Amino acid sequence: MNDLQRSVTSAFTIAEMEARKIRHDSTELWMRAIQPALWLLIFGEVFNALRGLTGGYSYIQYIAPGVLAQSVLFVAIFYGITIVWERDVGLLTKLLSTPSPRISVVVGKALAAGVRGIFQGVMIFGLALIIGVNLRLDLLDVLGVFVVVVLFAMCFSSFSMTLASFLKTRDRMMGIGQAITIPLFFGSNAIYPVSLMPPWLQAASRYNPLSYVVDAMRSMLLTGDYSALPIDILALLISTVFFITCASISLKRLIE
Amino acid sequence: MKAIEVSSLTKVYAGGTRAVDDISFDVEEGEIFGLLGPNGAGKTTTIKMITTLATPTAGSVKVFGIDTRRAPQQVRQMLGFVPQAISVDGDLTGAENLLIFAKLFFVDREQRKKRIEEALEYFGLADRADDLVKHYSGGMMRRLEIAQALVNRPKLLFLDEPSIGLDPYSKMQVIKQVKDLNQNFGTTIVVTTHDMAEADELCHRLAIMNLGKVAVMGSPRDLKRSVGGDVLTVAVSGKERVAVPEDLGSLVSSENGVMKILTEDGERAIPRITDYLEREGASVESVSLSRPTLDDVLMKYAKTSLQREGTFREARSARRSIARHAR
Repeated sequence: MNDLQRSVTSAFTIAEMEARKIRHDSTELWMRAIQPALWLLIFGEVFNALRGLTGGYSYIQYIAPGVLAQSVLFVAIFYGITIVWERDVGLLTKLLSTPSPRISVVVGKALAAGVRGIFQGVMIFGLALIIGVNLRLDLLDVLGVFVVVVLFAMCFSSFSMTLASFLKTRDRMMGIGQAITIPLFFGSNAIYPVSLMPPWLQAASRYNPLSYVVDAMRSMLLTGDYSALPIDILALLISTVFFITCASISLKRLIE
Repeated sequence: MKAIEVSSLTKVYAGGTRAVDDISFDVEEGEIFGLLGPNGAGKTTTIKMITTLATPTAGSVKVFGIDTRRAPQQVRQMLGFVPQAISVDGDLTGAENLLIFAKLFFVDREQRKKRIEEALEYFGLADRADDLVKHYSGGMMRRLEIAQALVNRPKLLFLDEPSIGLDPYSKMQVIKQVKDLNQNFGTTIVVTTHDMAEADELCHRLAIMNLGKVAVMGSPRDLKRSVGGDVLTVAVSGKERVAVPEDLGSLVSSENGVMKILTEDGERAIPRITDYLEREGASVESVSLSRPTLDDVLMKYAKTSLQREGTFREARSARRSIARHAR
C-alpha cells in the first residue's frame, strides 16, 4: 500500500469507529435534532406570520435551509471538544501510536462529523415534510444538499480540531465554540436576508462561510437558481482542504 | 540486533523544562527492560520520543535500526503501546476495539479475524467480547488494552504503568501474561512502573531515571547488591562474644546477644552461620534475614527528586487513571 491508500483506508476505519459508537447508542443524535426542530416549529411558525421579508417564499421555507446549516455547524464545532476529551482519557495517544498517517485521524473524524450532519439533514427534511414546508425535494437537489452538508461538517470539524490543538482544554473549547457559532449564525443569511442587516454587518457577512453554505442549500431547496453554486462549493472545498491540513499538522500539539 | 538505541537524547519543552537531559542507553532484543524513577523523572517523555509521539530536541533514537525521525510510520508499525491512561474505547465492544486497531495497523483481512479471536482467548475475554467495554472491570480493561497492542504482533511492546490501580489478583495476572509474552513470542518489552516489587519480578534489566538523566542501570540483582548485601540478624544466648570468620560474612554489630552479620547471599548463609555458632558453643534462638529491595536502590539513586513534589498535572492524571481502573 502506498501512503495515499493507507491514509484513505485508515480515515474510513476512524469513521467506522465513530459509526459503530453511534450504532451502540444513538441518543445523542436524537437529542441534537431537538434544537433545529424548535427553530422550525416555534421560531419558524411565529415569524411565518410576517410576509414580504423573504422574497416570494414563506418564512418557514426560507429558514429551513438556514436551520439545517446551523445544526450542522453546531455538530461540527463539537468535534474539537471530542478530540480534547479523547486526549484526556488517553485514546488519542493510542490512535497516534498506530502507523496510520495523522491526516487520516483528522479526515476520519471529519467524515464522522459528515455522517452526523447527514442525520441532521434527514431529520430536518422529515420534519419539514410533516409540517408541510414546501421544498424542492427531487433526488439530485437532495443529494447536492447532502454533499454540501458533508463538506461543511468536515470543514468546521477540522477547524474545531485545529483550534483544540492550540486551546487544549475542554472548558476553553466550550467557550470558544459559543463565541464562534453564535456570531456566525446571526451574522449570516440563515434566518434573515442580508439586505435587512446594517451595512457593517452586511460587509462582514460577505466573509461569513455560513452564508455561502446557506446560499448553496437555498439554491437547491428553494430557488433552483444554480448560478452561484459552483463558487459556493469551490469555496467550501478549498477551506475544507485547508483546515484538514492545519488540523493534521497541529494535532500532535495535543499530546506533546 | 539491538531493539532500541538511544543516544544523547534530549527533550526541552517550550517553557524551558529539560524533561530528558542527554541520555543514552540500549535495549537488547528479547529483553524486558524497566524504566523506573520518581514522578517527573522523564520516563514518559522518553517513551513518547521512542514511540515517535514526541520529537526529540536533540539526539536520536533507533528502533531495530530504524531512525524514529526518518521513518516514524515504519517504526510505529513495529510497536505496541499501552499508555498509562485507559486507551480502549468504552463505547465499543471488546472485539470492536481490537478490530479497529487491527485495521489501523493494516493487518491483512484474512489474518484479522484469527488474531482477534486468539487475542480474546489468550487474555480470557472471549465470553465478554461482544459487551461494551464500559461494563468491563479494571483488570479486564487492562488486559484488553494489552490484547489491543498485540494484534499487529509487535516486535517491541511498551507498557506504561501496566498494573496501576489494579487489585492484587489482576496485577498478578497482568505480570504473568507480560512474562509469558516475552517467553513465548520473544517480544521485547519496555515497562515503566512505580512498583518496585513488580519491576524486580519482571525486568531483566532496568534503568533508574532521575531529573531527566539515567541515574543508574543494570540487572535488579546487581543494583540491589550495589546498595549493600543481605543482613542477618541473629539472636544468641550462652556465649557473649563470638568472632565471625570472613568467609561467612562480616559482623556489623553485636549487642545484648543480637548480632548483625552482613553477607553476600543471605539464604545460603543461614545454615552455615547457625552451624558455626552452635559449634562455637552459642545457642541460636532466632535468625531473620533482611535484603535490600529496589526501593532502597531507588532511594539511593533518585533521592534528590523524591523530595520534589510531582506537578499537579501528573498527580491528577495518575489518580484519574487509578480511579478509572478501579471501577
